[in-house]
Amino acid sequence: MSFLEDFEKTLEEKCRQHEPPFCQAACPFRLDVRTMEEKWKKGRFNAAYRTYQNTVGFPGIVAVLCQRPCEKACVRARVDAPVALGLLEEATVRLARRKDPNAYNLPSKGRKVAVVGAGLSGLGCALRLCNKKYEVTILEKEPVAGGRARRQMDPEAFDAEIRNQFQFETPDWRLGQEVTSLEPLMEEFEAIYVATGPEGPDFGLTPDPGGAFASTRPGIFLGGGRTGSDSMTALADGLDASLAVERYLKTGGMNEPFRPRGTRLELNLSLIEKKEPVRPADGNGFTQEEVVAEIGRCEKCSCDACMKACDLMRTFEKTPRRLWEEIYITIHPGTLSRDGTWATRLITTCDQCGLCKAVCPQHIDFGEFFLQSHRAMRKKGAMPWPFHDFWLRDMEFSSGEARVCRKPEGVEKSAYAFFPGCQMAASDARYVTRSYEWLRSRRPDTALWMTCCGAPAEWAGEEELYGKHLETLREEWRGLGEPTVIFGCPSCRKLFARYLPEIPGVFLSQVMLAWGIEPAAPEAGAEFSDTYAVFDPCTSREFPELQESVRQLMDAHQLGRESLPYEKEKARCCGYGGHIGIAASAYTRRVAHLRSQESQRPYLTYCVNCRESFAGQEKEAVHFLDWLFGIHGNRRLPSTVTEKRERRLEAKKWLLEHDWHETVQEEPRMDLKVDKELERKLSESQILVQDMEDVVAHCQETGGGAVDPETGHIIGHHKIQNITYWAEYEILPEGGYKLWNGYSHRMNLEGE
Amino acid sequence: MPEIDGGGRDQRLKEALEKRVICRRCRVEMEPKKTFFDYLGHNFHTEVLCCPQCGEVFIPEKLVNGRMAQVEQELEDK
Repeated sequence: MSFLEDFEKTLEEKCRQHEPPFCQAACPFRLDVRTMEEKWKKGRFNAAYRTYQNTVGFPGIVAVLCQRPCEKACVRARVDAPVALGLLEEATVRLARRKDPNAYNLPSKGRKVAVVGAGLSGLGCALRLCNKKYEVTILEKEPVAGGRARRQMDPEAFDAEIRNQFQFETPDWRLGQEVTSLEPLMEEFEAIYVATGPEGPDFGLTPDPGGAFASTRPGIFLGGGRTGSDSMTALADGLDASLAVERYLKTGGMNEPFRPRGTRLELNLSLIEKKEPVRPADGNGFTQEEVVAEIGRCEKCSCDACMKACDLMRTFEKTPRRLWEEIYITIHPGTLSRDGTWATRLITTCDQCGLCKAVCPQHIDFGEFFLQSHRAMRKKGAMPWPFHDFWLRDMEFSSGEARVCRKPEGVEKSAYAFFPGCQMAASDARYVTRSYEWLRSRRPDTALWMTCCGAPAEWAGEEELYGKHLETLREEWRGLGEPTVIFGCPSCRKLFARYLPEIPGVFLSQVMLAWGIEPAAPEAGAEFSDTYAVFDPCTSREFPELQESVRQLMDAHQLGRESLPYEKEKARCCGYGGHIGIAASAYTRRVAHLRSQESQRPYLTYCVNCRESFAGQEKEAVHFLDWLFGIHGNRRLPSTVTEKRERRLEAKKWLLEHDWHETVQEEPRMDLKVDKELERKLSESQILVQDMEDVVAHCQETGGGAVDPETGHIIGHHKIQNITYWAEYEILPEGGYKLWNGYSHRMNLEGE
Repeated sequence: MPEIDGGGRDQRLKEALEKRVICRRCRVEMEPKKTFFDYLGHNFHTEVLCCPQCGEVFIPEKLVNGRMAQVEQELEDK
C-alpha cells in the first residue's frame, strides 16, 4: 500500500473535520446549531425560526418540552456553563414574527398513507407527508390529538401550535376512532406508520433491523413511544419516519438507512476561553440583545485546528481531504496529458514546520505526507528543477568550498564539536568565529564542523543525494572522535535528531547558559531594546530545552521578554520557508508579513533565517547572538545571496588562519563593480555577483553579446548549469568592469 | 508547437523587438528572428533580436521578467 492510500486511511479513521458538534450530536432532531448561531448572532429571528421549524416540526411545543440534552453535551459545560440553547430556542419562538408554515402549492400525489396514533410522533410524520402532498389519514382513539405530550404542557398552547403547523394541510382527522387491527387499513392505505405511544398496541409487529422504522411487514412502519422513545425522540422519529415511508412508496424498499448518532469530535478544552454566561434580566426569557450576547459564547465546535493554524491550508483554503485529493491526482494524474498535476507547486509550498501535527487532536502529520509526496514527485521526475536548484547548489557550496571539519591542533579526540550550519556564517561570519572562540575558551578541544546538514536535499525529496550526505556526515563525526555536537541552527538539529540519532547534540544557547556567557557591550551604532517578543523558530518545536535556554539566558541578564500568541510547541514559520521561497514567493512574503505583525515589540529569535525574514519585512528583530555579542542591533538589513556566500568563505579564512595558522590564498576575483542596490535586486532573483562575473568573463572571452548604441553597454548571456544569466556591463577605461544590470531565465535557448 | 507570444498581442514583446541593438562581434544591427526555446520538456518559439550574420541573441529584461517568466510559471504548474 502506498503512502497515499495509507494517508487516506489515516484521514478516514482519524480526521474529525466533518464530525457534528456536541450539541447537534446530542439533539434528537440533530438541530444544526452552527446554522442557528449565524442567524441568532445577527438577530434574524424569523430565519432562525424557519430553520428550527424545518428541523423540529412544532417549534412552539419543542421549545417548551425539550429536556435540552444539547446543554448537557455543550463543550462549555466542561469549561464554564453551557450555552443556554433552551432559552435561545424559546426566545426564537417568542421573538419571531413570521411563524406561518410554508404553503406548498403542489398537486396531490394521490398516494394514501395512514398514521395510527396522533401523539407527537404520529403528528410529525403526518405533517411531513402532508407537506409532500401524500393523502394522510390520522387515526386516534382519543378525541383530541397530542397524546402524552399534550398533558405535559398548556393544552391550549399545544392545540394552537398543532393548528398553526397544519393550517395549510388537509389530513383526514379520524379522532376518537380506535384501531384494533391493521388488516382493514392495509386494504385502504399503501403504507402505515404505527405510533401508538408507550402504552398503545403494537399489533404484533416486529422491528426489522434492515431499515430505519421498518417492521417485518412490507409497508408498515413503527416508531415513537411504542419503541421506547421519550416525547422529543418520538417526534424526531415521526419526522424521520416520513422519509422511510416515502422511500417505500417510491421504491418499494423498507431499507431507509439508520442515521448515525453521536460524534467523534474532540476539542482541546484548554484553548477555550472562559466567558461569563448571560442570564435573562427579567428572570424568564432572553431579549434580542441577550440572545446575541449569549450566542457569542458558542464555540461553533468543529475540528478545524489544522486549518486555523496552518498558513498553507488557510491561505489556499484547503480542507485536509481536499489536500489529499489534489495531491493524489497530481501524483497519479488521470489523463495522459498530465492535466491533473495541479498541486505540484502546492506540494512544494509546505515548509515542513510541523504545526499541523502539533495542533491536530489526532496528531495527523500533513508535513510528513507532503514530504513523501515530494519524494514521489521527484522520483517520477515530475518536480520542476528550478524549485530546488538554487538551494542544492548552495548545499554543494556549503559542504564543498566553504566546508571546515577540523579538530584543534594537537587534539586526538574532541569531546565537543561546534556545528553552526550553513546560514550562521552566511548571515555574519562573526556568529561563527566569536562563538567558536568562546567555546574554545571554555573547552579548548572543541572541534569545528562547518558544513551543510543536508536540508536542501531532504526538502527537495532527493533521497539518494541526502542518503549519501548523511553517510559523509557520519564519517566526519567519527573522524572528529564522536563528539557531542553543539548546534547553532535548529533546522540542522532537527534533521540530525531524525536521521542521525546516534549523534548526541545540544544547542549553542544551552551551552552558553550552562557554561556562563556574559553579554558584550553593544558596538557603536547597535541599538537594542529592553524587551523583546521571543519568536520561536518552527524548527525548535520539538526542542523545549532550546526554547527554555534562550528564555533563561534573557532572564539571567535582565533582558525583558514577552510571549507571542503562537509559541513553543505551537511555533509558526517565520515566512522564510527555506526552499519554498522560490516556488511560492508571494506566499512566503505574505506569511512573513503576517508573522511580523503579531506583536509591536521587536522580535528576538535564535534562527538566523527568521531574522533575515523579518528584516525583509522591515520588522525590528535580532538574533540572540546579536544581543550577546552586541552587534548589529534591531534594524539590520537582510543579507544578499552574494554576501551569504562571501561571508562563509570569510569565516573559513579567519578560522583557518586564527585557529590552524594556515595562510589561505584567495582566488583572484574579477574587478566587477556592482552597486549595493543592484546586488539586492539580483539577490531577489537568487543571482550571485559571481554568476555575473562568469557572464562577463564569458562575453569577454568570446567577444559575444549585443551593444546598446544609446549607452554603449554590452549585454551578453551565458548558461551556467541550468540557468541562463544575462549581464549588462561596461568596460571601464581605467580597467575592470561595471555591472549595470543582470537577469536570468529558466527556459533554455535551443542549442545552448 | 505553441508560440510564446500568444499571437504577438503582447505589447512588451513588440517593445522588445523595436529596441535597436548592434551585434558586438559583427557590428551589424540585430533583427527579429524566430527563435526556439525548451523548458521542462516543452518546446516553443518566439521572435527575438538576432545577429543576421553570427546568430548572437539579445533578449531584454522586460521580456525575461514579463512574458517569459509567465510561461515558465505556467509550464511548472502544468
